[in-house]
Amino acid sequence: MKRKIILLTAFYLLLFAIWEGVAALKLWPSYLFPSPLGVLSSLVAGFQDNSFTIGILVSMKRVLIGYGLSVAGGLLIGLAIGRVKVLDETVGTIVLGFQALPSICWLPIALLWFGLSESAIVLVVVLGSLFAVTIGVDSGVKNVPPIYLRAARTMGAGGFDLYTKVIIPAAMPSIISGLKQGWSFAWRALMAGELLYVSIGLGHLLTMGRELNDISQIIAVMIIIIVIGITVDRFVFTKLENRVRERWGLLNA
Amino acid sequence: MHLEEVRKFDSLKPERVIDLREAICPHPLNVIRDTIRELGDDAVLLAISDHEPTALENAPRFCERRGYPYRVIEQEGLWNIFIQKIEKKEARLRVESVSKVFSARDGKVSALSDINLTIRDGEFVSIVGSSGCGKSTLLNLIAGLDKPTSGRILADGKRVEGPGADRVVVFQEGALFPWLTVVENVEFGLKLRRVAHKIRRELAYDYLKLVGLDDKFHNSYIHQLSGGMKQRVALARALVMEPSILLMDEPFAALDIQTRESLQEELQRIWVESHKTIIFVTHNVEEAVILGDRVLVFTKNPGRIKSEHDIEIARPRKPGNPEVFLNTKWITDEIREDGEDAEAGIREAAG
Ligand SMILES: Nc1ncnc2c1ncn2[C@@H]1O[C@H](COP(=O)(O)OP(=O)(O)OP(=O)(O)O)[C@@H](O)[C@H]1O
Ligand SMILES: [Mg+2]
Repeated sequence: MKRKIILLTAFYLLLFAIWEGVAALKLWPSYLFPSPLGVLSSLVAGFQDNSFTIGILVSMKRVLIGYGLSVAGGLLIGLAIGRVKVLDETVGTIVLGFQALPSICWLPIALLWFGLSESAIVLVVVLGSLFAVTIGVDSGVKNVPPIYLRAARTMGAGGFDLYTKVIIPAAMPSIISGLKQGWSFAWRALMAGELLYVSIGLGHLLTMGRELNDISQIIAVMIIIIVIGITVDRFVFTKLENRVRERWGLLNA
Repeated sequence: MHLEEVRKFDSLKPERVIDLREAICPHPLNVIRDTIRELGDDAVLLAISDHEPTALENAPRFCERRGYPYRVIEQEGLWNIFIQKIEKKEARLRVESVSKVFSARDGKVSALSDINLTIRDGEFVSIVGSSGCGKSTLLNLIAGLDKPTSGRILADGKRVEGPGADRVVVFQEGALFPWLTVVENVEFGLKLRRVAHKIRRELAYDYLKLVGLDDKFHNSYIHQLSGGMKQRVALARALVMEPSILLMDEPFAALDIQTRESLQEELQRIWVESHKTIIFVTHNVEEAVILGDRVLVFTKNPGRIKSEHDIEIARPRKPGNPEVFLNTKWITDEIREDGEDAEAGIREAAG
């Protein structure tokens, strides 16, 4: 652990130094190759005038709404196709098909339906992540060992209880990996969507950076996007995953 | 017990009289059993015996277990044993000409063919038979997890239409829920019944104690338990539902010998204390003899009950017990004679 921290600090310091060094050589104009210190001051400035904070809040709100809808929809559809054979053979194929479609391809339709609005962006986020969640739920449900269901039924479980108390918990490891993948798709879809038109969010800050020829701002925003993506992944999904694994005894077993 | 009925003996003429003097082979008790079987309801049998254990121990035990009123009258070294046959109207379980056919890809499999079986309240019935003779299938039908192709099953006089908590199954392994702790697993069925949290916690602890699981594992997750502990938890999870019939499908088959024996002991103790009705499926003839009041031997192709053995051995029964050994040997020999899958029977009996 300690070794890892030292290693990483050293690596990033070195990277920073090389970057700063190359920038100091001024091989390229500074609007094409920013210096790390420039990026840092952009970061500070962005937070000082609140433009980054607002961008983060706006983007987070969108992703939360969009992702929330995906999770709800994905759970329902996943359970349905996981349990009902006819639905699996029909709706299931659509899910697989759309999963192959890059989420940004939904943007034109979203714009036609909703115009330049929040709804259009949220729709792209939803469609970007819905199918990943659905597939995670579906495969979890399909792989629930039948003995759990039999045991539960002999203890009197049926109908709704069977879903909430057996099928969903038993499918949890797979559902969580679906949720995790869905999250990363949602985040990507949002950024792609925000890039394409005026939208105030983080993606839009990237576009603004380009329009102002401010490469430091672009890099600063990219760093924010990466940090948010990783933080959520680490602190929400990896935590969840580890907890489930620990309970089930899937860790170092 | 049955004072009313016992009094009636004085006025009743026995329908049948058998003389057990010099009856050594077949065993006197078997003669009584077989004769009784032929009699009609309420008929009285008079068995005359000069064999003390038959008159004072075995026959009374036999009658008590079946709920038959009886009376033994001594007469200078001779005993008159009056036994009245009373079939209880409400058997715990009645399996009536049940057949089950599975359609597999390569034709039909007759897993069970015309099974008839009556199990009384508080009886412990073991089922043995080689692999594939339909033991699990019968248990599933009784549990309501599957439907018979023909015939019907009555539990407490009601036709079995589906699974229900009055007939809980303990499976061989892997049926505990890994996402719940030990107590939560035991509470599962009570939660379905919407039993208040505090009460179900207490019940869960009570039953975990009953099956002898160490306190320190109550909040463990399932993967942290040994195989034997898992089966204890599975037993507690079933017993806590207070099922009227407990169905056990090779629950100890995956355990090592020591663990298995200690669980057999535990189960006998629990059964003696609670007098639950239990149907216990096993490959192991000795285990069937140790646990059962009655051992049913199944054969396959098609699956049916080949024979039935009453086990009249005092409890607790231990693996080394000579009577257990003898009974095990008889049943094993019979299975072997049957020619089918003899090796499996012997191997299982040996350990
Ligand atoms: N769902 C099913 N579909 C088709 N055939 C089945 C099914 N379940 C059981 N069978 C067949 O029915 C027969 C009886 O099976 P069953 O599982 O009841 O045997 P068993 O006595 O419990 O065997 P074992 O001792 O190996 O557990 C076997 O031939 C089996 O192949
Ligand atoms: Mg079986």
